[in-house]
Amino acid sequence: MADILLYRPHFVAFIILFLLGIYIMVVCLNLVKKLIGMYIMQTSIMLFFITLAVKEDSTIPIILPSVTALAPEAYANPLPHVLMLTAIVVGVSTLGVSLAMVIALYREYNTLEEDQILEKMK
Amino acid sequence: MTSSLPGFLFAIPFFAAIVIPVVGFTNQKLCRPIALGALVFLSIVSVIGLSEAISHGPLSHEFGGWAPPIGIEWVIDGLSGLLMVAISVVSLIALVHAGPLVEKELSGRVIPFYSLSLLLIAALGGMVLAGDLFNLFVFLEIGSLASYVLVGVAGGRSLLSAYRYLILGTIGASLYLLGVGYFYAETGTLNMADMALRLPDVLDSRAVLTGLIFIVLGLSIKMGLFPLHGWLPDAYTYAPDSCTPLLASVVTKVPLYAFVRIAFWVFGMATVTTQIPILVVLGWVGAVAAIVGAYRAIWQENFKRMLAYSSVSSMGLIMLGFSLGTETGFAGGLFYLLADTLMKAALFGVAGAASYQYGASTVTDLARLRRNMPWVLAALVISALSMVGIPPTAGFFGKWHLVVGALEAEKYFAVVAILVTSMLTALYFFRMFQRVWAEESLPLVEPHVLETPFPIKMSLGVLTFWIIALGLGSDLVMGLIFESVIPKGF
Repeated sequence: MADILLYRPHFVAFIILFLLGIYIMVVCLNLVKKLIGMYIMQTSIMLFFITLAVKEDSTIPIILPSVTALAPEAYANPLPHVLMLTAIVVGVSTLGVSLAMVIALYREYNTLEEDQILEKMK
Repeated sequence: MTSSLPGFLFAIPFFAAIVIPVVGFTNQKLCRPIALGALVFLSIVSVIGLSEAISHGPLSHEFGGWAPPIGIEWVIDGLSGLLMVAISVVSLIALVHAGPLVEKELSGRVIPFYSLSLLLIAALGGMVLAGDLFNLFVFLEIGSLASYVLVGVAGGRSLLSAYRYLILGTIGASLYLLGVGYFYAETGTLNMADMALRLPDVLDSRAVLTGLIFIVLGLSIKMGLFPLHGWLPDAYTYAPDSCTPLLASVVTKVPLYAFVRIAFWVFGMATVTTQIPILVVLGWVGAVAAIVGAYRAIWQENFKRMLAYSSVSSMGLIMLGFSLGTETGFAGGLFYLLADTLMKAALFGVAGAASYQYGASTVTDLARLRRNMPWVLAALVISALSMVGIPPTAGFFGKWHLVVGALEAEKYFAVVAILVTSMLTALYFFRMFQRVWAEESLPLVEPHVLETPFPIKMSLGVLTFWIIALGLGSDLVMGLIFESVIPKGF
């Protein structure tokens, strides 16, 4: 256990954030708070992917014209960054759609608490 | 074989989805012809794609000229071709059916309805064609976003079910993405074919095991597999009647396809039954899902909610078929998937027609169909008999192949589960028939009943025809599945 904290602190941070996000989504009754939890959860996955790309003593993956012999171990892995750019876009559009739904719900029921909305639906 | 057909199949509905708001802004009446035209075109092209894939082997398209595994690859093989044909044809019929309903219940939202439906179809096509796990995630999310909005597009009560669907769906997609991350960390690739080559070396690693569990959990939420079906009954009950035939028939089937693709093509049959025996677990889950879904359906008063639980039950049966681990079981699962796509479109179509004419939503209200809508009632009877499994409908042959597959695999719990599910299905549909024919207290004069609109009659007729035709032609379809779909390793 101590090993993980020492050598892989980013995985521990990822797990804490991920579980925190799910916890907020499950426990909070406020619709906007649920979305905050959702966003924390999505961001924690981005953290996980980005930390996969890290290498010690490596530089940004831009190949300068002066370099002739390519050494892959000298560069950070660019693919996880690219994937997460796409995932950020997906996350933002999900957030946009969900906020629009929350606004529509608020206009309809005048509250953001899920239990009160269910009460008014009856 | 290299071909640009896969890209084309995505582009047709996608560009139509963009063109519709632009054109619809000036003339709203053009939305429907553009949408239907695009879908007719899509159906033709996907039939061409399927026949090409069967006769010449898989067609693949490399984006940007980068060869896979580095570049992104889209593939039409037997399975994705078959799914693509099913999606395009059923969604065409569902949108034909939706026409009069959209004008009635979503009159101010015609443009978003058609645009989002086509975006949904494009995303489902992208999921089916993608040969790359991350691409699959992106299309999974595009499709899900479109379906969240379609569920909530009418406003009011459906908004809360759409919101809950969104929350659960996002958890599912995040779990899937996390699983892909584990696979990528272990194999260093995202291309499915390349990953299939690299996975056997790292099967002992805990990262692969955990990743597979995350992916199966995430996709199970998306496909509404019991016990992760929480979003499904509310979403299908409160979604507008014009959207449910499309949503209920194809949206849950495509995540199931993604699971099948990963389990049988990326991991391979031997791995998922012995080394990481996930299919054994899913077999039991499927059996329980089939029985519990059918049992819950018996107690529902609302017709659409009853059908929603029936969807949970069918999803369990299909999963049970795929998890049997025999060729017949796999083919039976796929056949039942196709049959269920047609049956759910027809049943939700009947629900839409009943609510359009009479505002009928409960099972008892359906008795009013008897008076003025004999053709819609006939469609209801035939698709219900197919759900129960009465020959010569598609549902009977689907269940028949599932039972034969279970006997071949010597999994007797599966045989029992399929038979019990059929009996419970018979119970809730015969309860419905009893209400329809035994109810005496009908109002004698129906106030201002209109003739059923032609698009509704026609689409229900076509769906009913296909349910029977798929049953009668089941040998042909099963032959096609055996010849060009079954993965290696059985």
